[in-house]
Amino acid sequence: MVTTRVRHKWGMVVDLDRCTGCQACVVACQAENNIPINLEQHFLQRRAIEWIRIERYWEGLEEAEKTGDLSKVKARFIPILCQHCENAPCEPVCPVYATYHNNEGLNVQIYNRCIGTRYCVNNCPYQVRFFNFWQPTWPESLHNQLNPHVTVRTRGIMEKCTFCVQRLRKGGRKEVQEGKRLDDKEFDAQSGMFAPACARACPTDTLVFGDMNDPNSRVSTMAKDNRNYKLLASIGTEPNVIYLKKVDLDASDAATH
Amino acid sequence: MELTRRQLLKLTGLGLGGVLYTACTYDLSETRVESPTHIPEDLVAGLDTWYATLCRECGASEGIIVRVMEGRAKKIQGNPLYPTNTGKHRPGCEGALQALYHPDRLAGPLRRMVKGVGQSFEPTTWSLALEELSSQLAKHQSDPRSVVIITDPLRGSAADLMQRFATSYGARHVVFEPAEQTVLYETTKRLYGSEQLPHFDIANASSVLSFGADFLSTWLNPVGYMRQYGQFRQGTGRKRGRLVHVEPRFSMTAANADEWVPVNPGMEGVLALSMAYVIVSERKGDQSAADALTGGAGADALRAFRPGDVASVTGVPAEKIERIAKEFADHQPGVVIGGGSAGAHTNGLFNLSAIYSLNLLMGNTNKRGGVWLNPQAPLPELRAQATATPLGQWQPLIDDMKAGRVQMLIVRGADPLYGIPKALGFEAALSKVPMVVSFSSFMNDTAVYADLIVPEHTGLEDWGNDVPQPGPGFQTVGYQQPVVREYHERERLQADRGSRGFADVMLALAEGLPKVQQALPWKTSREMLMDSARKLQGLGKGSVVAASFDRFWIDLLANGGWWDTSATSTATPPKPSALPTQRRDPQFQGAGAEFHLMPFASNAMGDGRGAHIPWLQAAPDPVTTAVWGTWIEINLGVAKEMGIKEGETLRIISPAGEIEAHAFPHPAIPRNVVAIPMGQGHRQYGRYAQERGANVLSILAPAADADTGALAWAATKVRVEKTGRRIHLPKFEGTVELPTQLEEGAIIKTTKPV
Repeated sequence: MVTTRVRHKWGMVVDLDRCTGCQACVVACQAENNIPINLEQHFLQRRAIEWIRIERYWEGLEEAEKTGDLSKVKARFIPILCQHCENAPCEPVCPVYATYHNNEGLNVQIYNRCIGTRYCVNNCPYQVRFFNFWQPTWPESLHNQLNPHVTVRTRGIMEKCTFCVQRLRKGGRKEVQEGKRLDDKEFDAQSGMFAPACARACPTDTLVFGDMNDPNSRVSTMAKDNRNYKLLASIGTEPNVIYLKKVDLDASDAATH
Repeated sequence: MELTRRQLLKLTGLGLGGVLYTACTYDLSETRVESPTHIPEDLVAGLDTWYATLCRECGASEGIIVRVMEGRAKKIQGNPLYPTNTGKHRPGCEGALQALYHPDRLAGPLRRMVKGVGQSFEPTTWSLALEELSSQLAKHQSDPRSVVIITDPLRGSAADLMQRFATSYGARHVVFEPAEQTVLYETTKRLYGSEQLPHFDIANASSVLSFGADFLSTWLNPVGYMRQYGQFRQGTGRKRGRLVHVEPRFSMTAANADEWVPVNPGMEGVLALSMAYVIVSERKGDQSAADALTGGAGADALRAFRPGDVASVTGVPAEKIERIAKEFADHQPGVVIGGGSAGAHTNGLFNLSAIYSLNLLMGNTNKRGGVWLNPQAPLPELRAQATATPLGQWQPLIDDMKAGRVQMLIVRGADPLYGIPKALGFEAALSKVPMVVSFSSFMNDTAVYADLIVPEHTGLEDWGNDVPQPGPGFQTVGYQQPVVREYHERERLQADRGSRGFADVMLALAEGLPKVQQALPWKTSREMLMDSARKLQGLGKGSVVAASFDRFWIDLLANGGWWDTSATSTATPPKPSALPTQRRDPQFQGAGAEFHLMPFASNAMGDGRGAHIPWLQAAPDPVTTAVWGTWIEINLGVAKEMGIKEGETLRIISPAGEIEAHAFPHPAIPRNVVAIPMGQGHRQYGRYAQERGANVLSILAPAADADTGALAWAATKVRVEKTGRRIHLPKFEGTVELPTQLEEGAIIKTTKPV
């Protein structure tokens, strides 16, 4: 088939040295993607849905306890979202092909194929897939806020980060209309409208989104930074989300978490 | 009557035709999908439009753009053009959407039926409500001081309107903010001779030394500071900056600092002066500033603060004080930031003055990577300073209320019953006021006591403008426009109910008061804003320039405001005056109690204004990951000794009252400190906030800063008791302990700086 489509490979670079853990990405994602309201009982049942979340890890606890010097304690933050793995462990286990890898590097979930076996969530090492244990409900008036470009998922459906595919689709239309490849400008907070909601919100520019296939894009350059690493690299999932190490004056390889 | 066959056929035909004719017509209303009067002219079905406006969910008032589809607001993002937040936003900004469509928003004015009896309200109309307000205001004209208006800190045209209204009428205007910035404003005035809070050039600084100010979470303009923090850490073309944070609590800023220095509460000023001693004695600072600050006596003037002598009172080892001071002085340009709990003590002004003097000592005023003074607002009617009324001035007001000297109390944008320390007796005083009027869009703690509730628009439906405080270092005026038609428009059109803008209501009320009307020559708030915009246009400079006013107005609203990057401060700061030579120690209320109580603004919900928003209730606290409740951070070791486990309900007893909160044994809070987030414990405020958690503000002892009279909200000491009850603390983090060493190495990998 003859196609004029540009071949993108969407990816993200997360610079941990910039992240303050402020939760702007988390709330922005919930507003954009019609994520059900996480009530107290959802947290207590460990069934809160956050496509992107901030994890906090403690360090230096033992040293602080030993010396009595509290300033040795460190809290570190890391945003975790679907890693859009090239070798995604969630994909081959879906019996109905509801999850697959598309030609733009996205790990996609097709809601109306999903039958809720939850095999994928079991197989995901990053715990970024969420099952709708209940029919999501909003008070009538809050329906006004729901994003018409994002499906509201029903009970029994698996859902996850899409890199805000609705924005990328819109960008794709612009690409076709203008005959110009989407570049960094379109994903920049100052000039573009197509970056995923989390990256668009991030006050410190921790989250940078772009096209890994474009050798000049910010993500391509940043991914080559010598601080780069992949989350749980040893299991070989080949994520499209690249992390840059946190810079620490007392950094050591013996970090324990 | 005889009927021929022909006549019968004619009649039948006519009748049938008539029936068919009427059956084929249709009710005109059926052809209207949407009433034409409701459709904004630029609406194209299926397409979204982004409008620029200001976020009114917290004091920072960031510039935002709002995605609107078919008349409904869908998403909020930072306005890329707006200078203070340059395209980014906080979790709180998204909350404006849920405030707009909140299921518990009041759909129209309410009138109390029986005075003093719970929530006995009946719906009323705007015309009746305004009539009642007008007649009350007219009645009290002879004794105007008996009318009191309480607002949140106002800026821009709203502040001007309020001031004109209060002055011309003669009413008392008091400003309420739970964690007031009075001490910070006073410090800026004394040290820099400026009414405006300064701009910190963090992005270009090599080192940042901060005392008490949780500027990466809630302090002043967190988005602006975080924008700069990103640059400070990993900006291109610069070396990574170093952040040292001094605070008794392990806040978000402490968590992100390279070094966190836990200090004894209230001793921040002494620590800062000790660092000044080190810098002066090592002759590392600006020599002329050092001479001025020490009265020419050099380090000797500060000998009372020698690190060895203050180590025990501050709780910071002498060698650490010396090292941090030297490192800061060696890594210039550097900026010192102070605020938050450091200024919330009985020696608050002493602390902040000492802290900001370090900036003077380094001579970094108006220098790259230092402290930039902000210029005056471009027009005199655009007021920028928004100081709260210090606690010291509340007591006489409350006494007046109790004595029946206040006849009418108007409350707007604030919930004083929730935020004022209980010990002041505001609640009892409130029930003595014959007429309490609330402008709240939600039934909040104060509104329950109101005799009349006239709900105002939420931020996305209203007009306004703002002079950001602190500004970005140059003149900036943000403009706020309604991005959607008011949500309760139908109620307003059909039943004279719904909501109205606060400024519009005040202008409508002015019409019945000749003196006030003279001072307020506008019909609507939009007109008032256009008036200021015309003057801005007249300046002929800045980001929006246009020959015609129509063009200027459109561009002004489309950009979200006006700013002039070349209009920086021209004022020369006064010569520094000599530093104190003696310590001024803080006084605490609740002597004998073992813990200092550190209240702190919740990262998402702030001082409680955002508690009604479910997204913000569910946004985990970054450090504890707790959600939907009130927790108390207590030292892990202390908790072990007391046998306290996570989720255990503790009773916190201060001299002013007691509350209950759930324990979070914290590995990084000093043994003599407990910390409780602000934001919860509302008696009302909609289904998501009502009766949830506890209100830490209610148990604060009414201690005040000795110099400014501002509430010293960090000066209360408390006892902690076990109740024997325990819950599962709602939080995001799991409860399963991780193995000490993961096979694949750390999740968050670290590296040393290059």
